[in-house]
Amino acid sequence: GSCRGSAAAPSERPGERRAAEMKKLYGKDAAKILAMEAAMQLTFDRNRDLKQPKYWPVIPLKL
Amino acid sequence: MQCDWLHSGPQLWLRCVHRQVRLRTGKQEEHRGWLLTVDPVSHSVVLLSFREDGASVRVVMGHAVKHVEVLQEPDQDMAERLRSFFHPPTTVSLDP
Amino acid sequence: SIPTSAAAQSDPEQLQEEQHARSVLRERFLRCLLAMTNKKVQFHMHEKVNVEATFGASDIDVLNFQVSDLHTPIGVQKEALIRCQDVISFTFDV
Repeated sequence: GSCRGSAAAPSERPGERRAAEMKKLYGKDAAKILAMEAAMQLTFDRNRDLKQPKYWPVIPLKL
Repeated sequence: MQCDWLHSGPQLWLRCVHRQVRLRTGKQEEHRGWLLTVDPVSHSVVLLSFREDGASVRVVMGHAVKHVEVLQEPDQDMAERLRSFFHPPTTVSLDP
Repeated sequence: SIPTSAAAQSDPEQLQEEQHARSVLRERFLRCLLAMTNKKVQFHMHEKVNVEATFGASDIDVLNFQVSDLHTPIGVQKEALIRCQDVISFTFDV
């Protein structure tokens, strides 16, 4: 296929695949669960960027 | 009601919500409490238990849950306490 | 990934019921995680490790917990990530 400028987006963007997966799992409530999860992941990512936490313990207790 | 917990799906877990369960982990530890929910993603089990001076929630990670036995139904006021856990009674509004 | 039961695949009404049950359970779990924000949580981990920290957030696949003021056996770590695979269970007061 023609390559449109920036790397050609995969035919199905990850977002689309995720939405389809969520629809399969949660049906009509998919949007609500997706929104709650997105908010939670945003908090986790933001805290991680701001606070730069290190793993504790450094080496996993259970592999 | 003894059910093969780990392989049953969301519908059965939902039917067990608010019931008292006894859970054993891989480390042969046992926890008993009122079932608040089961996470369908991580299979973690969320239990609410009461002490004289308050209540606490215990979340047992899905990978650590070995055996779950569903015990009794809650009585009237326990059911009410469990229902209000996620939806604390909104303050009664004063307007007529 | 999360299996859909065979029964659900064949019968749309069964599927809808399973989807509904899954979303009610998931929402309640997410609300539990939200209720823990900024609360003191006791983590009961493998190798008989028990630590306490202030809960920050979980990633959505419940693989990592971001916490603050983690009281470890050798001192307090201001910001930490805990691997959920290391955790057996955790508790917090309500």
